[in-house]
Parts: sequence; structure tokens; C-alpha cells
Amino acid sequence: MKPPLMILLVPFLISILYFSELSGQVKPANYGNIPDELVAYDKYMKAYKYHFLEPTQFYGAGREKLPPSDLKEIRLGFLGPLEGSVILTLGKQMLQGSMLAIEEANKKGGYKGIPYKLMIHNDVGLWGAAANEVVKMDDEKVWAWLGTIDDNNSHVAIRATLKLEILDMNTGDPDPTFTETAIPWVVRNIPDDRQSGYVLVDRIFKRDKHSRVAVMRVNSRYGRVGILHFNRSATRVGYPIIIEERFNDGETDFKNQLEHIKKTSPDAIVLWANAKESALILKQIRDLGMKQPVYGSDRMVNPEFLEISGSLAEGVVTTCQYNPDANDPKLKAFKTNYLKRFGQEPDVFAAHAYDGTNMLIEAIRKVGLNRVLIRDILTDMKTFQGYQGVTGKVIFDATWNNIRPIFIAEVINGKFKFSPAPPLEKSEQIYKKPKSGYSY
Amino acid sequence: MITVIMKRLFDKNFIRYSTIIIILAGIVVAGIILLNKPVQPEKNKKDDKLSVSGNYHNSSDVDLPGSSGVIKEAKAMPVYGHWRNFTTKDGLPSDKAYTVRIDGDRVLVGTHDGLAVFENNKWRTYTTKDGLAHNGVVSIDVSELTGDVWIGTLGGLTRWSSGKFTTFTQFNSGMPNDLVYCVYCDGKDIWVATGGGAGHYDTRTGLWDIFTEQNAPMHEPWTYGVSAGDGKVYIAAWGGGVIEYNKETRHFRDYTDPDGFMEIDLQPDDGVVHDITTATTYADSILWVSTYFGMSRYDGKNWKGYFNTDSGLASNFINFLRAEGRVVFVCSDNGLSSTDGTTWVTYKKDDNSENGEAIITNGNMKKEVPLSPSISHNFIIGVDANENYLWVATSKGVSRGELLH
Repeated sequence: MKPPLMILLVPFLISILYFSELSGQVKPANYGNIPDELVAYDKYMKAYKYHFLEPTQFYGAGREKLPPSDLKEIRLGFLGPLEGSVILTLGKQMLQGSMLAIEEANKKGGYKGIPYKLMIHNDVGLWGAAANEVVKMDDEKVWAWLGTIDDNNSHVAIRATLKLEILDMNTGDPDPTFTETAIPWVVRNIPDDRQSGYVLVDRIFKRDKHSRVAVMRVNSRYGRVGILHFNRSATRVGYPIIIEERFNDGETDFKNQLEHIKKTSPDAIVLWANAKESALILKQIRDLGMKQPVYGSDRMVNPEFLEISGSLAEGVVTTCQYNPDANDPKLKAFKTNYLKRFGQEPDVFAAHAYDGTNMLIEAIRKVGLNRVLIRDILTDMKTFQGYQGVTGKVIFDATWNNIRPIFIAEVINGKFKFSPAPPLEKSEQIYKKPKSGYSY
Repeated sequence: MITVIMKRLFDKNFIRYSTIIIILAGIVVAGIILLNKPVQPEKNKKDDKLSVSGNYHNSSDVDLPGSSGVIKEAKAMPVYGHWRNFTTKDGLPSDKAYTVRIDGDRVLVGTHDGLAVFENNKWRTYTTKDGLAHNGVVSIDVSELTGDVWIGTLGGLTRWSSGKFTTFTQFNSGMPNDLVYCVYCDGKDIWVATGGGAGHYDTRTGLWDIFTEQNAPMHEPWTYGVSAGDGKVYIAAWGGGVIEYNKETRHFRDYTDPDGFMEIDLQPDDGVVHDITTATTYADSILWVSTYFGMSRYDGKNWKGYFNTDSGLASNFINFLRAEGRVVFVCSDNGLSSTDGTTWVTYKKDDNSENGEAIITNGNMKKEVPLSPSISHNFIIGVDANENYLWVATSKGVSRGELLH
């Protein structure tokens, strides 16, 4: 190359290098493990604002507040479905998981010799009562609280927790919108349905090569919001759901909905419901002579599902937020102790409640009795980032949602077998980068 | 080989061109560094002439009607100074103040531990012992029609009338839920926003209506704010945007973020900036809507979105807002902002002193006016203004600013 040309070229290249970085559309890491091909509108234009890429700070007062000196017990709140709910069994497991963690902590001396106490509240799904329960917890002077599973109640409760400034450790609600409220007082240690949706889309459409998929879901917020990202993602990868049928909690006869599904000749069926209904639907699918493979939400991973569906469950594929069969001494000890204490195997809600309670206890051990400081340490993205519980690691995103990799659960020989969900890979055939961005 | 290299090294042209390249590259790099150099914050450039402290003298430099007169850059926006702060040391029942409402010569403040009333320069506290539904008072409004004070608490709605407290709960009335995030008086009608839906109480008939996802276009029954104006009621529905209720036709309609995704705002001016709305306020034919992701303005035809990155907004996390005339006061988690949609005045307290500043922005113009003292805390939860004063409820006390005119 001739020197005069180099004279012009070198500064030019330096400028290009710099300014391309300065003014170019540098795409940030996707929020919530969203695969590139599923980023909203990304095929067509850049959004003006991407939320949830940085944690919401809490700028309020309270860090200077000293704890009372005359405490007889260290209170932690518990909000769960314990009465009058269709998911009582899940609530019971969740409570037992929390209780075990509390009992273990108290055997070790509690907090500076003061025992922990769980202040137990039923979440009752009617008329926003969960909010009233959080107010009661404030009156009881809890330092933080755990709960709940039903997303209607969780949402109502966290608005109260924001007002009252008490940290909520959620261990059982997989509603993706729960942490998308930007409330800096909410932490969730269980991976959400966004993750399940992406894994199922990858499995059903890309790996198992289905294209005509029917959905049967419970007509509740759990069903509506749970299936949301699966449905949207299916459309984005080119296979919109061909039919979605719904039913109400407590129904046992699904023939009408299944007849509709049958007429559309799907090549796979996805169920988003609780364990009992999922099993009953599966039986009635087969009764109608439908032989399509069945996939479903993680609530199928429950002994009740296997018990009701029997051999028909063979081959059913779903997801699970952790691997209950992992060869981990901590998990094994937890399972042994849980079985010994409560006479039953722990489920996913028990395991995550155990971990969540231990995280609260650990936070209090580190910072003492101050609600804001407990919040601060649990959300600092350092202290509990990578926290190793019996359910695995905690990997918080900027909304304090646990986005660690989840597991595929497949029924083989009458039992759920767990395997890591394959990493989500970009499909060039489907995904095309936008040629131009949107600018103001 | 070595000889060739040596010859090349000492070749005059090579040295000349290399030197030029290095110099040009240096110039480019220096330019980039200078371009990229962070602008020194105005914060440290104290301008004594603009300092609004105790010995401030009113200026005659009035530029526009209704303006503060002291700071030209604020144009028609009011600017408040001479801040006075109140905490438990001054008689408040709690430093955590949720709401503030001016009621003639007195000021009502809702705190975590009771209702505080400032009258004749003294604070008096009312609690459940006096008849409040709950000591946590999160919302207050005063009926222009009757003068009754309506108090939204963490445990029910209380009416304070002629010295008597009457409580409404979901068990003794048609209240949707006991946690009343917002109460709004609209003539004879009282509106409440609760976790179990929006409630409407007709004070003449004594009847309640409940609006939830069952009978209104809400996604869920969770409501957080309510306001009214020009024959319409605007409900901030958490996750459902804004629900508009036409009082004449009794019809609802909703305004949501058209992009349909929680994690983005595709275009800032296509509708409300996010579906998680926290408050609405209506004045001067403008609807203002706050969210935890920014703020929106709606003039009945066009929406306009505001973020802390493209306006003078203190923070995108907005707890509450209240419009007075064409000015809206915005309670964010990191400062108090006010705007008419064009010019912004944002009040922020310094982290390590009682001082702070009013930051005035208009497009690219930015001016920082030192305030001594400033507001009591940057976490703002409630606000109210009258002709001369601005009252602010914060995470650590209550502040009162005087209009500088």
C-alpha cells in the first residue's frame, strides 16, 4: 500500500472503529433468556426502550433504622394457598419446605440465639385479600416474607409489599409478569414460565418437528399468562397454535373441548393446567382415539399426574425448574430430612420454599434486622448471585428472576426422567436480522 | 535481509509518511477523547445570584405570567424554594409519609403511623384510637361539595366529617378491598382504587359499584390510582393501562401500550408507555399517566411519552402524580419533577447534606439552581400544591416549598 493512501486510511479506520461503536445499534443482552429470534419486533425494528436490563434501585429511606432490642422471635411471613384453593397440595408442600428450613435454622441457634418464627397466612384468592394479609404481616412486624403460588394473589400482594417495603421472596409463582412489575422488593428463586415456554417451543417445533399444535389450558390467570410466551413464540417461529381450548378449574369432563381439537387434526397437544386436570385430559384424549404426543406445563411433574394417568403418561414431555434426581449431597440430605419430617417426598414447591427461606435466613445473618438492608443484600446481584441451594444455582436477571437453565421432564417407564434442556440455538432459517433500525 | 530492513527504516519517505500518519492518528484519537470527555456537572458551579436560600430576595425579573420570575429558564413553570422540612422531631407520627393534601388553611398528611394534620403551625395526629380504619394512611382527598375528608388506609376507607370518623370496609359496605391505594372525590361521587377493583360510592344513595375485570375492560381487578375530569373517570389499572369511564354514557374504554410486551416500549408516543400504571391525573384537558417505566401525556388525540433519558424526568419509577392547571408534579423514587410538557423543573436533594438543587431543563438547555435547604428526601410518594405552596410527602418526612415570585 502506498504511504499517501495509508495516511488517509489509518485515521479513517480509527474513526470508523470508534464511531461505529458510538452510534451503531449495539444490541444489549436479551432480557429473560429470550432467544434472539423471539425478541419482540426485532425482525422489523428496534424498540425505543428495552426494560429490565438494569435492576431497579431502591432510593427510599430506612437503612439507618435500628432493630428493636427486646425481640423474642424473628418473624418471617408466609403467604400460601392453605385453605379454599384448588392448589392446596402445592401450598402444603411450600409451607413444609419453609418450616423445615426454619426448624433447621432454630436448631443452629436461630439469629443470635433468637428463634425464627413463621407467621402463616392463607392467600385466599378472592377480592384481593392477599394484600390485606401483607398488611397484617406489616402489623406483625415480619422482616421479610415468602409467597405465594397463585399469580393473582402474588400480584395483589406485591403491590402491598412495595407500599410497606417488606421484601417478598417468591418461591412458587412462575408468572413471567410477576417480576416484570419492576418492584425492587420482589425476588423470585424459581424459574418462570417464560423459560418453560421457550424450552417447549424448541422441543416441539425444532427438535420434534411438529407444526400443527393444539393447546388446552385452564381458564385462569395461571393458564392464560403461563401459555402466553409459548403461544407468542410458536407464532414467531412460524407455527401459530391452530386451536386453543379452555376449561375451568374443577371440571372433569373435557370431551367437548377435545372434540373441537380432534377436528383440527393437530400433530401434537400442549396442556397447561394443574396435575389432576392434566391427567384427566390425557385420559380423555386417548379415550377419543387421539394418539398425538402430549406436552405440558411443569405442574404435571407431580405424583398425582402419574397416579391418575397411569401408563398413558408414558412419553409425556414437560419441563421442570430443577432436577429432583440430581446427584447432589445437599439435595439428597434435604429429601431425606423432608421425608423423615413430613412423611412424603418434597415437590418443586417444597424445594424452592426451602431454598427461599434459607436465603432469607442467610440475608438476615449477614445484615441483621433491617428490612431495607435485607432487601439490599438479596438484590445486590453479587451476594446471592450463584447461591447454591438444593434446587441448584440462583442466577438472577435484572428483575431478580432466577433464569438458570431448566430441565426437560419426560415420563419413561412410569417415572419422570430429567435431563438438562438443550441450549436454545438461533435458527437462521427463521430469524432474519433487521436491515434498519428505528430512530427518533 | 538486515541491510534491507535498515535501509527501509531510514528511508526518508517512510519516516516522513509514518510521522504524518502518527500525527494524524494522534489528532483523531485526541479528538475522540475530547468528544467523549464527560461534561463537568453543573452541580458544583454554584451561582450565588440564583441560590435560593434563607436570605433570598425576590426578583423583579418576571418574564412570563405565572412564572417564578426568578429563573428565566423556567419560563412559565413555577419554581419552589425556601423549603421547610418536617419529621417526627416536629410532631409527625412517622417519617414515612405516603400522601399529602392541602385543605384550606390546614394540611393533611398520611403516614405509616397515622393521619397528621398541620394547622396553626402545629401537628396533630389521628389514629385508630380516634376512629381511623387503619393507621397506615396512603391516600387523602377532600370533597369540594361537602368539605368531608376521605381517607384511604391500608385497612379501609374512612370519612372524616364534622369531627366524626366513619369507616367503610369490604365487610361493612360495598368496598372492593380494604387496601385503598387512592381515593378521589368527584362531586357527590367517591372513587377508590383498591387491589380488588375500583369502587364507586354515591354519597347521596349510599350505594357502591365495584368495577373489576368482570364488568370493565381490565385485565385484572388490580387498581392503583383514580382521578376524574370533564365527565370522565380515569383508573390506573395495574397491568391494564388506563381505564376510562364515561359518566354520562356509563361506558368504559381502555388505553394500553399498543406493543403488547412488558419488556419493551416500541414507540414512546403510540400510547401509554407501559401497562403497569401507577396513577392518573387530569387537568387543563390533559390526562397524565405515570408508570414505573416513564410517564405519558394524552391530550385526547395524541399520546406523548417521557423518560428520564429524553426529558427532565427525575426517574422512570413514578409513585404518584398530580396536575394543577397545566403543570403536573411527578413523584418519583429519585426526585420530584414538574413539567408543562416542555419545560421541566426537578428537585433533588444532595445525598450528604440538607441542600440540593432545582434542575431546570428545556430541550438541550439545563440549569441547576442551588437550594438550601432542599426537599427532605428524594423518594417522593405524594404531592399537592396551591397558589403559594408545594407540599411533598417523602420516604423521610414532609416538605413544604414556597413559590418564588
